[in-house]
Amino acid sequence: MVESWSFNPPFDRNPETGEDLDKIPFEEYCRKVFDPSKTFEKPEALKGWRHVSSTMYILSPHVGATLAEYGAEVIKVEMPRLGDPMRHTSPFNEAYLWPETDHRPLTGTGFGFLHANVNKYFVTLDYHADEAKELYYDLIRISDSMAECYRPGTFFRWGIGYPQLKEVNPRLIYIWLGGFGNYGPRRYGGSYDILGQACGGLAAITGWHEDFGGHPAKHTNWIIDWYAGLTGLIGILAAAHYRKKTGEGTFIDLSQISCSTRATGYSFPLYGRFGVVRQRWGNWDTLLSVHGIIMAGKTDDPEHPNPQISVESRYVMVSAFQDEDFKELCYLIGRPDLWEKYSSFKERVKPEAQIEIYRALEEWASDKSRSEVVEAINNAGLIAVPVMSAKDIYDAEHFWERGTIRWVDDPLFGEVLTQNWHVKLSETPPRTKWVWRPIGSDNIRIYHELMGYSMSKLKELWEKGVI
Amino acid sequence: MGEENGKTIEIDIDDVSDTLLPRPWPVSKPRTREELYSPWVKDPRDPEGKYGEFIEENISWEKAEGKPWALDGLLVLDCTIWGMAGAFAGSYLAELGATVIKIEPLDGDPQRHLYPFGREEYAFEDIYTGEKVSPTFIHEQRNKYSITLNLETEEGRELFKKLAAQADIVLENYPPGTFDEWGIGYRQLSKINPRLIYAWFGQLGQWGSMKDRTSKYGQWMLDPVGICCSEFVHSTGFPADLLPREQGGNPTRSGEWVGDVVAGVHGTIAILAALYYRENVSNRGQFIEATASECYMDICDFNVAWYGFDGSIKARTGGWDPNLNQYAWNPCKDGYLMIGGQTDRLWYRILQVIAQEDPEGARLIAEDPFLKEMAARNALEGLIKTYTITAQWLAHNTRAEGERKMVSREVAAAPVLFIDEIAEYEHFVYRRHVTEVYDEHYGKVFASNSPLAHQHRTPARIKWLGRPLGLDNGEIFARYLGIGPMELKKLALEGVVKWYRE
Repeated sequence: MVESWSFNPPFDRNPETGEDLDKIPFEEYCRKVFDPSKTFEKPEALKGWRHVSSTMYILSPHVGATLAEYGAEVIKVEMPRLGDPMRHTSPFNEAYLWPETDHRPLTGTGFGFLHANVNKYFVTLDYHADEAKELYYDLIRISDSMAECYRPGTFFRWGIGYPQLKEVNPRLIYIWLGGFGNYGPRRYGGSYDILGQACGGLAAITGWHEDFGGHPAKHTNWIIDWYAGLTGLIGILAAAHYRKKTGEGTFIDLSQISCSTRATGYSFPLYGRFGVVRQRWGNWDTLLSVHGIIMAGKTDDPEHPNPQISVESRYVMVSAFQDEDFKELCYLIGRPDLWEKYSSFKERVKPEAQIEIYRALEEWASDKSRSEVVEAINNAGLIAVPVMSAKDIYDAEHFWERGTIRWVDDPLFGEVLTQNWHVKLSETPPRTKWVWRPIGSDNIRIYHELMGYSMSKLKELWEKGVI
Repeated sequence: MGEENGKTIEIDIDDVSDTLLPRPWPVSKPRTREELYSPWVKDPRDPEGKYGEFIEENISWEKAEGKPWALDGLLVLDCTIWGMAGAFAGSYLAELGATVIKIEPLDGDPQRHLYPFGREEYAFEDIYTGEKVSPTFIHEQRNKYSITLNLETEEGRELFKKLAAQADIVLENYPPGTFDEWGIGYRQLSKINPRLIYAWFGQLGQWGSMKDRTSKYGQWMLDPVGICCSEFVHSTGFPADLLPREQGGNPTRSGEWVGDVVAGVHGTIAILAALYYRENVSNRGQFIEATASECYMDICDFNVAWYGFDGSIKARTGGWDPNLNQYAWNPCKDGYLMIGGQTDRLWYRILQVIAQEDPEGARLIAEDPFLKEMAARNALEGLIKTYTITAQWLAHNTRAEGERKMVSREVAAAPVLFIDEIAEYEHFVYRRHVTEVYDEHYGKVFASNSPLAHQHRTPARIKWLGRPLGLDNGEIFARYLGIGPMELKKLALEGVVKWYRE
């Protein structure tokens, strides 16, 4: 039998050493079955799945990127020459990777494009052209799923909407992703991540309350794009499970605003029953106390040239909400009176109690550095973690041994640091192969090698500007 | 003012306590399909109204009832307590039709008693027993059956093994190695049931130098530990030069347990991918591990990559976005208005709207050569200049006025809405982003709907909300283990299960 590092349940021995995996400690066992260095020796979960990604920005491309990480063949269709606007997007216009391409030769593609487009194949197609429709039908005929993000009805007008495509391929799983959805009074409104945060509810409960002088804070990343894209992918995979039984595809109308609303926890039941409108509560928690972020007096490296390290890296997350933990914490900071006063779980979650307790904690931490605070609390057997910056993540052994961050040896761009192996699967781990490719770089690979269009026809289409 | 059962009711607001009264929902009724239908027909974007009609007939929320379930027939054992990640994964699977059994210790999931600010008056009461439960619990544990099973007893574990032998998916989030020590971890269960997909949820991991741990008194690690260790908190919030540190100029966590939400969603995808692989290729399950820190890091843009690129560490930028111009919310007359438009086409449209009221300001940025190129506008000076002018315009506009003016030029704009405003926003009411659920045990409950509710074949739906502790003991034990009421009573006396209404 071929020895495999794929730990199928009947094989309870290490194929290399013959060691009995039932007898080793649990952590050792996890290290073995999730070993990131064995990723490329294991199969891919979605091998053979083909997905067409007619997408822009982050929300809809991320569906394809995650499918591609799990092994699907994902074809990203962009408008000729224009490309995805995310290619122009870069933090403060600073970070770009330079490809050999005629598309924006002076700047290359911005970092905003990163990560929502891994492992994809890039083709171009001008949907407006007459030839495009037939070509797109041919592509859909051999695909399992597709995602698009144009305004409602646009694809229908171009002859490639769901009502038409389901005739071409009844097994197709078609997902539309956007802000307001395909029906309803405001259906034509454009949307972005930040719009989902703003009017979906996350903004209303994130940031500091007015009484503390604060404003609603934007989640730093495009969370409602990324997370809503993942929610859509749940719909696709579930539909594929159903399709196996019936052979029928589906249409999913995913509103990212609705995803933001779904993530607001108890806010709506509370409002509906008691009329209480949930507000922002800064860095503390509305359900548990102590369970929040405090500021330490100093950073670990006040001399560092980067203010993000010398000034900002001074916050600690402290968690001691159970009775014994809270008692220990109060004695640690020399405030046993707080324990006397708030020895009941419910009492210390009250707003006034939280204000008093966190103030006392910050007072205690005011002459200590971040690592001193974390150490003192951890040494007392309680839970505290530093609020980590990108540098702290990079320096943490933990994420390297787990393969979470990795230098990807990209065929075009060389070494790119990327967050990589988000969920661990013992048999079919997701993986990053390349970060992205220039616009239209796989036209021949897909149209000629996969779909069998002749090179002369492709030349003709290219001359007409269709691809 | 509002309507209920056709009668108009009025609420006098004399003092603060009146504002806390629940209102009928929705206070203002959204336009009906018929009222909206004529715009469909006349709309130049859909001249014959065919697409609109197709969607209304096949996709809309009203048509969901009676459609089949995508994950019909899957058996999921959800053993998660405290944290929200596994709970989320379980409720997504349950909304899509899987049979999800929530297995709780005898005194229940502690989440049942986590009330906002510890105020027990915000509890929901079981109509039959008066048992109290938190709004968090009923909202997040939707569509699940609830049974009690004491996994700390030998007998409880034996029963759990019998359930796992029939299950497709197990979800758990106990501290690393707990289930393994109890003899019901993946190592042991996979021998009983090789097709089992076993997912563990946590903050940092089951292995590695910084793995999940408990305090010396056994307290678990919960969100936001994960997002603090993912770079997210460090770069969220306002910079100290916009707001003083004590007043919001700090790194800021998300208001919800958002790391758990993302780990739950990522974990669900892994489970469904493993299911696809099992059904189509291997006929075997696998071991899955989803942590809040890694799953959140995955979606944290390019932040880690940027550090690798040139050592940059993303700073906080409050309501602005450092990557796009315009793309921010700024204060306006009565709150905050978000405006977004990055491409030249949209960017200049925003200026056209501003120019109507503030021609000098709009000219100042429209004619700046530095701001003419799309990518160049993202530089910090570009952001400051653009948003200064925009905020000046916003100061004279309310959220509704600003939104209307921007949307009329097809610019994406929306107000920062409070929870009650979301509940009333016509579009969301029409689509039921939030909805009333008539629950057998709690009566009328307001809840946010599943984002996957709008589908042609297999829409996700809420059937019921988090159930009273052990409600389904009788049903589940009889159905899967052949244990009838007499034996169940015996088990209850031995402390293995607990009766509902005991």
